[in-house]
Amino acid sequence: MISEKRFLQAGKHLMMGNEAMSEGAIAAGCTFFGGYPITPSTEVIEHLAKRLPEVGGVCMQMEDELASINAVMGASLVGAKAMTATSGPGLALMAETISMGANLEIPFVFCDVQRNGPGTGYVTEPHHNDIGFARFSGNGEFQIIALAPMNCQELYDLTITAFNFAEKYRCPVFLMSDAYLGHLHEVVDIPTREEILKKIIKRELPANTKGRVFSYKDPSTGEYVIPSPPIMGTEYCPGLFLHQPHGPDGLPTPKPIVFQEMLIEKITSKMDEISLTETYKLDDADIVIVSYGLPVRSSYRAVDIAREEGIKVGIFRLITVWPFPDEKVKVAVKDAKAVIVPELNYTGVIAEQVERVTKLETPVIKIPKVAEFHHPDDILKVIREVAK
Amino acid sequence: MSGVGPMYPNEKPEHPYLSKSYVGDLLGNYSSRFCAGCGYGIIAQIYTRVFEDEQLDPFLHPLVIGIGCYAQIMLLVHSKAQKILTLHGRAPAIATGMKMANPKMKPIIFSGDGDSMGIGGNHFIHLCRRNLDCVELVFNNSIYGMTGGQGAPTTLFGAKSSTTPYKMFENKADAVKIALAAGATYVARTTVAHPRTFMKYFKKALKHKGTSVIEIVTPCVTYFGRKNLDNLGFEGEEGSKMDTGGKMIEWIRRNSVRNNQAKFMTEEELFNKYVIGEFRYEPNKPEYADEYAKIQKIAMEGKK
Repeated sequence: MISEKRFLQAGKHLMMGNEAMSEGAIAAGCTFFGGYPITPSTEVIEHLAKRLPEVGGVCMQMEDELASINAVMGASLVGAKAMTATSGPGLALMAETISMGANLEIPFVFCDVQRNGPGTGYVTEPHHNDIGFARFSGNGEFQIIALAPMNCQELYDLTITAFNFAEKYRCPVFLMSDAYLGHLHEVVDIPTREEILKKIIKRELPANTKGRVFSYKDPSTGEYVIPSPPIMGTEYCPGLFLHQPHGPDGLPTPKPIVFQEMLIEKITSKMDEISLTETYKLDDADIVIVSYGLPVRSSYRAVDIAREEGIKVGIFRLITVWPFPDEKVKVAVKDAKAVIVPELNYTGVIAEQVERVTKLETPVIKIPKVAEFHHPDDILKVIREVAK
Repeated sequence: MSGVGPMYPNEKPEHPYLSKSYVGDLLGNYSSRFCAGCGYGIIAQIYTRVFEDEQLDPFLHPLVIGIGCYAQIMLLVHSKAQKILTLHGRAPAIATGMKMANPKMKPIIFSGDGDSMGIGGNHFIHLCRRNLDCVELVFNNSIYGMTGGQGAPTTLFGAKSSTTPYKMFENKADAVKIALAAGATYVARTTVAHPRTFMKYFKKALKHKGTSVIEIVTPCVTYFGRKNLDNLGFEGEEGSKMDTGGKMIEWIRRNSVRNNQAKFMTEEELFNKYVIGEFRYEPNKPEYADEYAKIQKIAMEGKK
């Protein structure tokens, strides 16, 4: 079905962020996109409406966000890799199905090109105000994975990673882009098709599916080994129990806690693989900047200037925002005099998480910005004050 | 999973199709979870019968079930049918995704009146508009049965329910008229009092390429029948009770008018009546998945 001919050629391409993400999805083997136009994510559906049919996929403009995410879930149920893209108000509408997707353990990728809120807000302005919402995006308790790219290259690469995470951990995976990043034009280095094919996890049926119940735990080690997602229209589809809460043995359970524990533990027990982080000049730093997404780019400049002035400051960057890597952050801020969290929102959702893992005496300084960039000077000013 | 275990292990099915039902096949238990007098058992049995007689390929006919009383139908339908219980009202959207991701499929959607006229009205309209190849069955019991008898968009004028304790005063939604206006290519209405007609329509819908909508009027004795008399509060008419399945099925039969008779009746005469029959059958209209395949072909060849 998938035509290999029309994939993007390897090499350097100038692309908009939203397009880079769309191309990343195509590279990862996405064959279904259901969406509804919403500023600032509209370019994704526009680009995919042209590109997906070329590679043998389907791009549908649905009647609303509720239908888009449900169509994505339906496509994923029959074995297609599927994704949708939206912004804050769309995420609010899709919350119901994200929760259902987590419950059914149906993998899909969800791109949130964040914009200012609440309500309709300033629609063309960036604002990382869905970070908290993404974590609790639906009724009930479940765990999602959220990735925060900071440039167009990462939008391409992390989309492939997001599809892999979705297939592997069978949960909704979020890509937290924003209005600036989505509309930013940058050069993206596309690897060759062979290299990409080596990276991606394909949707495959396990061997000997007939009449077999797949356990979620390795009996010898007790570790979670998540079986590949069931596909309707094949033998690998558990009759009635597809929507039934089940325990780690794969059989329906009357105890809600057993299912609840499995739903969260299957992801949080794999933190080593899921948690992607980066550091910059962190080894001898007294002052640690913890950040994610666009503010990291301003922080690099601020750190370089501060280092010239002799201030020991470094960056700890979260690529995987959720689940929050408690242990890694704890190690990074262990000896810090102060922690600075520049964030593109007012309340500081991640700053609160950082506060949770830092020592009581370590101050956590927020640099809130709403609907505008952090200028390196904004961060530098705080670094200088702290260093005094 | 209470009530699913083998309560009566020695019970023998009276009907050959009953042993094909999910719980019958799996546990040897032939009971259902529906109230006495409910019509969903009839629907499930007919589905199973058609599935068995027509030798439907379970891999190509996924059953997409919404939320409502009828969701328990999944325990009664054919054991081989692959089924997915979805969100309230979103079944048409999920079926759209399934059909487009695997165009060989022909999803069968089970939805209730609250599903397709209430919360999922938009999805229902757009499914019909696209003329996607699938069968949507709308079970209309004119009440929200699962939550305890609240008024539905299809509740008849003058009927009592727990959220319309005095009387229903809203106009009722008509699934057939909406489907016709939205562009479904096979539209029919029948009742559980006419099971053979339903079977005929269902078989026709399975062979039809395009969106088929069949509304099935079914009784809810527990929450509709017990609270209402069969005159539905109209003065001047003497009402009788509808508190058993037999009485309600009889009322549904009396309250239905055939399509060809309805043509000669005035609007007042048809008020609160169910017009049954086939309303549209257009087998040659373009179907969405086929049209999309043409688009894919154009795109792959690189033409603009």
